[in-house]
Amino acid sequence: MASVSLPAGAIPGSTQQTAPRLRVSDFLRWSVDHKVIGVQYMVTSFFFFLVGGTLAMMIRWELLTPELDVAVSGAQYNTLFTMHALVMIFLWIIPMLAGFGNYLIPLMLGAKDMAFPWLNAFAFWLIPPAGILMLISFFVSPPEAGWTMYPPLSVQYSGDGQTLAALGAHLLGISSILGAINFIVTILNMRPAGMSLWQMPLFCWSVLATSIIQVLATPFLAGALTLLLLDRMAGTTFFVPTGGGDPLLWQNIFWFYSHPAVYIMVLPAMGMLSEVLAVHARKPVFGYKLVALSSMGIGVVGFVVWAHHMFTSIQPQLRIPFMITSMIIAVPTGIKIFSWLGTIWGGKIRFTPAMLFALGFLSMFVIGGITGVTLAAIPFDVHVHDTYYVVAHFHFVLYGGSVFGIYAGIYHWWPKITGKEMNARLGHIHFWATYIGFLASFMPMHISGMLGMPRRVAVYLPEFQTLNTITSLGAFVLGLSTFIIIIAAVQSLLAGKKTTANPWRALTLEWATTSPPPATNFVNDPVVFPDPYGYGTPEAAAYVAMIEAQFDGKPSSERGIQTGGATPAPAPSVGD
Amino acid sequence: MNSLNLSSTQIRNIAIIGVLLIVGGFIIGLLTPSLFPAQASAEAPLIDNLFQTMLIIGGAIFLLVQGLLVYSAIKFRAKPGDTSDGIHLHGNTTLEIIWTAIPAVIVTVLTILSWNVFNIMQAPKDDELVVHTTAARFNWAFAYDAPLSLVEAQGVDIANLNLPDNVKADIADGTLTIASTELHTYANRPVRMDMQSRDVIHAFWVPVFRVKQDVIPGRTTTVRFTPTLPNDPTNAESWYPVKCTELCGAQHGAMVAYTVVHPDEASFNAWMSERMMGVLFPPPDPVERGFQLLSSNIYPCYTCHIDADLAEFNWNGNVGPNLTVVGDRAVGTRANATGLSGVDYLTQSIHEPGAYLVPGYGNLMPNLGISDCDTRAIVAYLCTQTASGEPACTIDTEAYAAQCTAGAPPGAPGAEPPASAPAETTPEAEATAEATPGS
Repeated sequence: MASVSLPAGAIPGSTQQTAPRLRVSDFLRWSVDHKVIGVQYMVTSFFFFLVGGTLAMMIRWELLTPELDVAVSGAQYNTLFTMHALVMIFLWIIPMLAGFGNYLIPLMLGAKDMAFPWLNAFAFWLIPPAGILMLISFFVSPPEAGWTMYPPLSVQYSGDGQTLAALGAHLLGISSILGAINFIVTILNMRPAGMSLWQMPLFCWSVLATSIIQVLATPFLAGALTLLLLDRMAGTTFFVPTGGGDPLLWQNIFWFYSHPAVYIMVLPAMGMLSEVLAVHARKPVFGYKLVALSSMGIGVVGFVVWAHHMFTSIQPQLRIPFMITSMIIAVPTGIKIFSWLGTIWGGKIRFTPAMLFALGFLSMFVIGGITGVTLAAIPFDVHVHDTYYVVAHFHFVLYGGSVFGIYAGIYHWWPKITGKEMNARLGHIHFWATYIGFLASFMPMHISGMLGMPRRVAVYLPEFQTLNTITSLGAFVLGLSTFIIIIAAVQSLLAGKKTTANPWRALTLEWATTSPPPATNFVNDPVVFPDPYGYGTPEAAAYVAMIEAQFDGKPSSERGIQTGGATPAPAPSVGD
Repeated sequence: MNSLNLSSTQIRNIAIIGVLLIVGGFIIGLLTPSLFPAQASAEAPLIDNLFQTMLIIGGAIFLLVQGLLVYSAIKFRAKPGDTSDGIHLHGNTTLEIIWTAIPAVIVTVLTILSWNVFNIMQAPKDDELVVHTTAARFNWAFAYDAPLSLVEAQGVDIANLNLPDNVKADIADGTLTIASTELHTYANRPVRMDMQSRDVIHAFWVPVFRVKQDVIPGRTTTVRFTPTLPNDPTNAESWYPVKCTELCGAQHGAMVAYTVVHPDEASFNAWMSERMMGVLFPPPDPVERGFQLLSSNIYPCYTCHIDADLAEFNWNGNVGPNLTVVGDRAVGTRANATGLSGVDYLTQSIHEPGAYLVPGYGNLMPNLGISDCDTRAIVAYLCTQTASGEPACTIDTEAYAAQCTAGAPPGAPGAEPPASAPAETTPEAEATAEATPGS
């Protein structure tokens, strides 16, 4: 382990910070500061999370009974789940994770900003118009062909909102590509002296893998959407068999993007998980290289599994190769799960809200992983394809995985972003309400699917009502639990205690500056700790003490540190 | 640290935990039967057993991961006031190889098992019962090539029947096409479904058979299964649901048909010959025949149209014009608008739905290829759909009876020899070689 030395100019107490505090209005206008952009991404997408969640509540309300009663027609019900999926995927999970990437990547690399700050802002500002297009589509003549937009239904029977939603998805795709290019260039070129690729925090690895997927896959979405728009508006028949087109063409192009998109939605959350688990278990990430490589492995194999979404539609002889690749992808996923278990094993676990959500992620994601393997097995998939079993599976991955990861990330980096502490007790309540609501909501879906309930139906046979009622009640708990984190956030912003630079005593560079960081991120060049997860070494303790001394006046050991996220208010110091 | 350096006690503990996990996996695997509906096909046990294998392995992994998680959460919890770090351990190559290799072996085994089951499911069987299946928003239609020998055995002299030309063309190959809105099969006879869609993608799924296949417009897709568990052909409650599992529009969830699994071939043949007699000897009254056609829903009209008189037969679609008093309109406003007689207007509306669009409605209705005789019967029925109940128009009943019916079936009371004059060939009848409904 390299010894840590303080550079000149980083003497405790010598870093005078007089950056003006950001006002709310600063977040409402064009800014090229990656931190402002990161917050803009996060707040915007959280708004859409609430929109998508409201739609989910309406769906579950409808499904309390086997008959059609809440929605006025089956078509209106179809618009609910179509919009729910479009909003959650394109306007919540993907931009939310992009927000974390924007905020954290330059900080973790000790950089002053992203490689292309203007492009970064432009990529964000594509999202509000895209979101508005999607929302307008819901009130004009909503799309009702599902988020997968399978033709000929989406071409011949869906309302004009389908066109608007497709245009919105187009804009979001452009935003996503631009953001990804920016991340790749930033990560490959802007690491500080002393940080090789293999010394990057794992979140950077996961964003790198995600960005490569985005750059390679998203153009296929753009191509598919362009052909769809031509079919809808210019009278072409790429996907319409009556004009010589082929509906399976859409499915192939769409899933060539949309399966990798699953990893776009989960890899950054996995990266955040690695950070949170290591910091709050006070232990190095187990098998760093293998975890980093498994992100890349998932990214590569993820490109050749798309047709497992088509096991009931593509020609039978083409199904076997995709079963093989889909099974293979379980291996790098398994590596990650066991590496995370190895990370907490032998640690000193602090049960902060961030850590609870990270552990919750682990316990949920393993279920989604196991059901994923069962779905790769064609004979079983043929039975449960397009049933609630599949709905359960991807919610375990995308809610139990991505959203739990996002929550862990919010609780973990909130002090850094806002400079305020968050109430840990509310965080605990939020976690348990979410965890229990989630299990009650999505666990019974496995059973209703296997017993015979198709997905995307407004009416169902009465024998499924008990399971659906449990699911709906769980969903309502889950929906209400979201308000707890909003309350905690508002309380923190209005009355939260000021936090320190490094409340979790972490080793990655985003903590080696004030909370929130100044406009240029670091006043002096930050000192890179050569091992981002070097917990359990005297050097790490010395490094943390140095950060505390530099930014908060004196080391926490002299202030009496507490565990559980409730750090005492720092003594007044010039470093603040 | 590249080796595990385990003491003998640790090895013993790991072995005990391993055995417990496997036992736990098997206990979880016992849940399998309660997670599936009844096993009603030869394929169902294969798929259920495959799932059980996966559930046992997955259950053991589930217990391992959650067990490690809970154990760690308790054992490695930081004591209050403890500010120290955990052990500085970066990894263990041996362990990492183990947890890369074991999942790789597991998924390899599962792939081979699945491949094997899939091959059995896909393999063509001897003597398959072919069911021509048509999916349309939002109903299923099933058609069979029924051998004429079945009705000939009941004394019907096919060769000397006065059949409409479309039926004659249909029986040239020795089979009569019969249509049904229920899927009829019988126990232990392999079935092959040849499926086509009229509009969008649908998916054929019978949960008790465990088979599913998308029905894709523009191509014929196939699915095979062998029903094994019969239900009661006389009790609709016992029939197995066929569900559409690919989103197809507003009434996707209600796109359900039913499967009858007859106990044996005799029962199936009895049903089939009864249907054949219905096709060969339709009611001579066109209005009655029209009602029979429309109320049986072998044509998908009901999915888009409302007709109050047919409400009990699910005529509640609200996509197309309401047909409750279409007879009045046909001879009134529509005749004025198109210059056609009521009968001609209604006929055109069936054969060329886009020729005249009712104001406020789009050009959505497909040409369903309805035969001339069926069209005439449907038009005759629609003429009676008036506010007063009196027919607004009529078709030539005698010509209809002569050209479209073959008299009464043998043995029926009042059976008379069919009219002697051969039917005059109409252009429509020639154009529609596929005579029977739903095919």
